[in-house]
Amino acid sequence: MVKKILVILITGICFLSCGKGISPEPEGKVNTTGFGGLVVFKGKWPTGIKRTLIVAFKNPLNSAGDFNAFNLGFVSDSIPYGISSIFYSSLKNPLLEILPGVYSYVAVAQSSTPTISLTRKDWKVVGIYYSNGNNSNPGKLIISKNEFVPNINITCDFDNPPPQPPGGE
Amino acid sequence: MKILSLIITFFIFNSVFAQIGSISGRITDTNDQPLAEVNVIITGTVTGTSTDSLGYFKFSDLRRGNYIIEASIIGYKKFISDTLLVNNNNITLNIMLTEMPVQSEQIVVTAGKYAQRISELPVSASIITSKDISERNVQSLDYAMRYAPGVTINLDQVSIRGSSGYSRGAGTRVLVAMDGIPFYTEDTGEIIWEILPTTEISRVEIIKGASSSLYGSTAIGGVINIITKDIPDHPYTYLKTYLGSYDKPSYKEWDWSGQYRPFNGITFTHSNSINNFGYTVSAMRTENSSYKQSDYLKRYTGFLKTVYNINNLNSLTFFATGVNQNHGNFLYWRDSRHALQPPAADEGQHVTSNRYMLGLIYKTIFSQDFFITLRTSYYNTHWKDETASMDDSRAQLLRSEVQSTNQLSHNLILVSGVEATTGKVKSNIFSNPTSKGFGIYSQADYKLPFPLSISLGARYDYSKLDTLKSYSDFSPKIGFNYRVSENTILRASAGKGFRAPTLAEAYTSTSASGITIKANPALGPEHNYTFEFGIGQTLLNDNLLDAAYFQSEYYDFIEPGVDPKDGLVQFTNVTRARLQGVEVNLNLNVIPNIIEFNADYMYLWARDIEKKMSLKYRPRNLLYASLNYFWDEFEFGADFRFWSKIEALDFELVDLGVVPDGDKRVPVYVLDLRGTYNTNLLSIPVRVNLNAKNIFNYNYIEIIGNLSPIRNFSLSLEVMF
Repeated sequence: MVKKILVILITGICFLSCGKGISPEPEGKVNTTGFGGLVVFKGKWPTGIKRTLIVAFKNPLNSAGDFNAFNLGFVSDSIPYGISSIFYSSLKNPLLEILPGVYSYVAVAQSSTPTISLTRKDWKVVGIYYSNGNNSNPGKLIISKNEFVPNINITCDFDNPPPQPPGGE
Repeated sequence: MKILSLIITFFIFNSVFAQIGSISGRITDTNDQPLAEVNVIITGTVTGTSTDSLGYFKFSDLRRGNYIIEASIIGYKKFISDTLLVNNNNITLNIMLTEMPVQSEQIVVTAGKYAQRISELPVSASIITSKDISERNVQSLDYAMRYAPGVTINLDQVSIRGSSGYSRGAGTRVLVAMDGIPFYTEDTGEIIWEILPTTEISRVEIIKGASSSLYGSTAIGGVINIITKDIPDHPYTYLKTYLGSYDKPSYKEWDWSGQYRPFNGITFTHSNSINNFGYTVSAMRTENSSYKQSDYLKRYTGFLKTVYNINNLNSLTFFATGVNQNHGNFLYWRDSRHALQPPAADEGQHVTSNRYMLGLIYKTIFSQDFFITLRTSYYNTHWKDETASMDDSRAQLLRSEVQSTNQLSHNLILVSGVEATTGKVKSNIFSNPTSKGFGIYSQADYKLPFPLSISLGARYDYSKLDTLKSYSDFSPKIGFNYRVSENTILRASAGKGFRAPTLAEAYTSTSASGITIKANPALGPEHNYTFEFGIGQTLLNDNLLDAAYFQSEYYDFIEPGVDPKDGLVQFTNVTRARLQGVEVNLNLNVIPNIIEFNADYMYLWARDIEKKMSLKYRPRNLLYASLNYFWDEFEFGADFRFWSKIEALDFELVDLGVVPDGDKRVPVYVLDLRGTYNTNLLSIPVRVNLNAKNIFNYNYIEIIGNLSPIRNFSLSLEVMF
């Protein structure tokens, strides 16, 4: 009986171990083009928020018209409500994948509408990416092919919101 | 003057116990081959020793009386002598042990800081023998630990029953000691496994569950005590050399070198005793070109141990061990298509380190029932990153401990002691902090006739870590061991443990791969409350079944997290964690003396109960199994290791793009094979080991972005004369 069990065990081990385990991603499937960083939330989260997204626009948002689908270069997966910070990567489950290029406005925006809306007034910017400690103008994000840009960190202070792009409420 | 009087009195007092007789002898197997490292104890006392490399043992200075000698070692049936009368005579015993893989009667010295039978402990314990280490041809002890029941190793960070995950060496929740002297580094608090040549290890004792009541901080998850080999009475020389190679990787994308990657090593040891003085000197060289790029290793290890028996009642043991190492700095893979290569920017990075430890153990015997042991050690470490950050750290740790062991009556043993530490660090990454600590402990083990053993102990610790607020901690523990019948033993224990933050956790300030870590001057200790209930059952043919339920409730669990004020990473006391599970161990003599089978299964549920998430790097199901076949001078073995897929790892490194494809992980199925041939060439014992590790070339990770060793083969030769 014991010997039979041992034979079954050994056979099972050989069968399980014969798999290769971790394997390389197929060529071309490894997408390293993107950016990532840390989003920190300060203060109390507003109520009624349905989604919080990281977004990147190609051109600056100088007018309400700049808030359009053609200018939009990246939309992240939704950030969980109520958290105090999150590491993010544009490679992880984006709603809209980023492509190589220059992005003039990277921000965290929130909306309260039941479904995703492209109407400017449905969104509120709660945090903006600034570069080199310059908090007067949004930082520029330059994405090259097969390059990942780290440290695109954004602070969202609910008690001290950033300047809103034109067209909001 | 008072001190001088005390010292004179002390030596006069000692000399009162003039020698009356001795018991000595030699222990062999059924083939008349000497058995080394056999535990030999005098029944009913705290006196014990082990056989030397040629199988000899000796108890000197025995007062007139009746004695019973017990000899035991894993794999052999325990020997119990008749009652021996010592009356100004020297008794010689020649003992032959028959093979019988029974672990229950092994002797450990770690659980209570004195020699105890493993079956009489109130806690779970296991042992790795020097034979286990030798046959597996491991280059450092951490690899052998991978097959220890209840133990997991993530890269080189040890964990007992899930106590630790992986934090790049910053803090360990398992106290690792060498002959009872802890040897974690002062700066990072990590274990440098390679500082001790594996050939000098007699056995490794593993005590599971919080042991802070005896060992203080760091023993919050358990204790691993490495017992070094005794010095033989006769000249003894040992030579080991090995050569091996990694196979080609499974996928052509991973074959970065186009070559078989070799590794080799050589160890030389010589021991001798001259009158009252004995010594062992050992040197080891290890070279490994590694299966990963920028992961090579060159290591030189030196070890010296001397024992001077000052007189019949006083002995002084000194050891010095050190390691010089130069190795590549492979942190993470580039991506899954380049799984054996680091990111291009990290190529060529390496780390150099010099570490040494000095230890002194003074033992004075007042009587057979009472002795005092003084242990003091100095641990100096220096490492330097040849990377962009050029991190550099020098650390020193001085530790002293005085322990008394007192058999107050035939059923009561009291172990008490005091311990003090002081350390300092000079580093560009941890700044220049200092530390000091003090501890006092006592444990009483009482045997009732039922037969029930009760163990009651407590320890008080005071700790001051540079600018951190000082704190003190009280760690009690209670344990029971009840032999229900000849074949059934119940055990239970409950206790409190604590761990002081390491300097690295409190003061690290550096940036790497897009993450900035800052110091936390408010960091405090973490605590846990542990409980264990176990049952040991001897089955037919001396087969053994042992099962245990364990639970640990952690408070102020130290984990890295993000400070929402500035977004920087720091270690904080944020987490409330729970670890609970079941461990079942089976030792089976399938065909006595021919085939044996050992298996250990552990179900581990480790979670952050505030965030309701699994703790990182804790597989939920673990199974270790080994099968050994003995045939004349040959021995064949297979070791299998299974981990279920780890549920959580450092996902933020994936999100940040630091480790592309870093969330790739699989269940672990690893099978190692080994064969050993024991023979005599010109009357010189020779052992040849052939090892094939990860025989199916299964690709898995233990930590994020780090493929574990691929299939490799090695041949080793050991000569003893």
